[in-house]
Amino acid sequence: MEAYRTEEEQLEALRKWWQENSRSTFAAIALALAASFGWQFWQDHRATQAETASSIYQDMLEAVNLLTAAPAGPEQVATVRHLAGTLKTGYAGSTYAQFAALHLAKMAVAEDDLATAEQELRWVLTANPVQEIQLLTRLRLARVVAAKGDTAAALAILETEDSGTYAASYAEVEGDVYMQLGQQEPARAAYERASSLALSEGSAASRSLQLKLESLNPIPAREVVQVAEEN
Amino acid sequence: MLQSIRKNIQGTMAKIIVGLIIVPFALFGIESLVGGGGARYVAEVNGEGITAPELQQQINQQKRRLLMSMGENIDPSMLDDQLLAGPTLEFMIQKKLFLQAAGEYQMAVSDAALGNIIGAIEAFQIEGKFNSERYRQVLSDQGYSLGSFQDSLRDDLLMTQLRAGLSGSEFVTKQEFNQMAVVNEEQRDLRYLVMPLDDFRSEADLSEAEIEAWYEQNQQSFKTTESVVLEYVELSAVDFYPEVAEDEVRELFELERDAFQLPEERAISHILFEQGEDESDGELQARIEKVVAELAQAEKSFAELARIYSQDLGSANFGGELGLTSGDSFPAEIEAAVAALAVDEVSAPVPSDAGWHLLKVTEIRAGKVVDFAEVRAELELRLQQEGGQRELVKAVEELRDLVFNAEDLAEPAASLELELHTGTEISRNQQQGLFADPRLISAAFSKEVVEDGYNSDVIELDEAHYVVLRVSEHKPPSVKPLREVRGEMLAVMTEELAKERITERAEALLASLHAGASIEELALANDYPWQVELGAKRDNRNVPASMLARVFTLPVPVDSDSLFDYVQTAGGDIEIFELVRVMAGNSDTLAPARRQQLSGRLLQEGSSAVDAHYQKALLARADIERS
Repeated sequence: MEAYRTEEEQLEALRKWWQENSRSTFAAIALALAASFGWQFWQDHRATQAETASSIYQDMLEAVNLLTAAPAGPEQVATVRHLAGTLKTGYAGSTYAQFAALHLAKMAVAEDDLATAEQELRWVLTANPVQEIQLLTRLRLARVVAAKGDTAAALAILETEDSGTYAASYAEVEGDVYMQLGQQEPARAAYERASSLALSEGSAASRSLQLKLESLNPIPAREVVQVAEEN
Repeated sequence: MLQSIRKNIQGTMAKIIVGLIIVPFALFGIESLVGGGGARYVAEVNGEGITAPELQQQINQQKRRLLMSMGENIDPSMLDDQLLAGPTLEFMIQKKLFLQAAGEYQMAVSDAALGNIIGAIEAFQIEGKFNSERYRQVLSDQGYSLGSFQDSLRDDLLMTQLRAGLSGSEFVTKQEFNQMAVVNEEQRDLRYLVMPLDDFRSEADLSEAEIEAWYEQNQQSFKTTESVVLEYVELSAVDFYPEVAEDEVRELFELERDAFQLPEERAISHILFEQGEDESDGELQARIEKVVAELAQAEKSFAELARIYSQDLGSANFGGELGLTSGDSFPAEIEAAVAALAVDEVSAPVPSDAGWHLLKVTEIRAGKVVDFAEVRAELELRLQQEGGQRELVKAVEELRDLVFNAEDLAEPAASLELELHTGTEISRNQQQGLFADPRLISAAFSKEVVEDGYNSDVIELDEAHYVVLRVSEHKPPSVKPLREVRGEMLAVMTEELAKERITERAEALLASLHAGASIEELALANDYPWQVELGAKRDNRNVPASMLARVFTLPVPVDSDSLFDYVQTAGGDIEIFELVRVMAGNSDTLAPARRQQLSGRLLQEGSSAVDAHYQKALLARADIERS
């Protein structure tokens, strides 16, 4: 019965504490619930936004696939433009918008509209992309600028960057720009750097890179070791 | 203690406390109360674990894919779990990284979008329309649950979206295309002749002196392999199997009978009545009687009544089911009542410590009685194995003593009545039979056995298999006599000599070319085949591949001075060629198909570079632990 008495007393103490603190406890619970629901609402909202952007993007990809499958009609191009535009304006902060701009740039390059391509790539860079997308976009920007003929600007874009895991491609594009300028020596150096970077990353140099290097590094013909004999 | 909690749980106070526990539980799930638990991961990717069962599941899927793509003829070693585990784990880590990145980029797929995709998958359709029956069927055939399939489809879709955004938006500029075309579409004009090695083989007439000198120089390559001729005694438990009497087998059967029998099991359900604190015995009885009466009316099933009335909250929701018993799972009074019931019969109220029960047997699974005849052979073999093993160990002990002291194996074998095998010849790289075992090979070629002529130890191959051996004859490696190897040697010599001569000749022809002779002249004078190839590209198929590769690594000829060189094929023929002219590639003159081929390749190279660099970027900033 001793134990029962203390249990009784404990319950009594608890009951007393409850009477004094019930109000603030309820207030705390209410506050926590409100915060939690608010957070959940915000999360849901964000999720819905992302899901809508995702659907638009998915539609855009399907239109892009149609473009490459058959010769593009003007209305298919327009569809891609429209959907990509919707992403860029309505969901400007989303990664889907950046992907959309990258595709617009690709489309512009195919149409040889380098100014538009440059514009789209620059838009991605101003949208504050994560580093791995930013590096990729910069690389493409340098290539488009070089294609426009502005080799100096292209080299500048390539140089000012810590190119991380994209270093091999950065070096190869640098080599391409020097070749465009007709400067074989720096081109060779850049290609060789690209090749050894690729190797150190555990992947072989591409066939194209091998050919570029091969044509810059010819192996002379065998020397004659003997005087001609009668035949 | 649980009992007292249960008693006290009635008050308002207790309800409040329960309420407090429920709030976090409802909002955050059970993990918030009991903690994460100690799951073991095979790898952790940025804090997200991959468990061993997940890995195993992926390995199994991979195996299924391999089987599907390669069919029955697949090399079974390719399906080895150990072998697949490493690459599969790396694949899962990569995938996890991609999905985490997609999450970080706020990428998502809605249920509706997922539904559209599932609806469009042909495998789930009957006559062009989505059929949910079939959907479930196909999934379960593939080993998916509904949820796991949707999750994996969602993951796949996210990965596709991500890759489409990055490597899918790769392009090739006109400038790049043109620059590559200069190299890739370069054309080279050449003339060449082929010197067959055959012509030089036939010229090879070797003098006897030359042959002997060659034999002296190359003796090492003509040695016989070392071997030993063995005699040995082999002991296996099988040879010692005793006769087993019928009653011994029967005795063992009686002893182990239980292991062979499956007991009868009964599936039971109950409805529990607990006496309330203020409830009199009479009131309780009345409560029970009421349910018994309802049961008798048979309007509601036992299961429904259990749901309504049973105070065993654990089983009430499952129709009162308590599971299977073979007579020892529940208190004796319950088991006794259950044992007396037929299927679907309900007992009278039975008291136990917990309260009063109405019991029902829902199923009786008959036990299995095993017949002596069925297991006789198995039991007899076991007795034989046990007896044989005992005898074997005894024999091995005796043999060990005997062979240690004996000069040879004949005497020990005779005194133990074991067979002595003789005349078995083996080499160090024996591949077949008993002596392919490396332990026996190393014993047979050990110094004590080969040089000192001792008996070997009694070697244990496994617990039921022993061998002891000695060497009766040692055949050390020796040089084969010339007459034995002459034919073989002449072939090698002819080949080498021919290669030497053809190279000399090629050098001479090269010198003639430099001195002004033409390929055509030289070919006609020596009766070699010759060709002209104009405008050969890098992927030309008329020109031999070995020569073409060399032709394109040569510098561009200066001042229309041809370059000359030769290559030797793997077969030994020599191709001598003249590079006349090099023309840089020009994208403007390319045929459409050719254009498409080149731009396709460039795009492909670009995309895979993006994939590789991107993947490395994710890896570089990830925190990955493999255990």
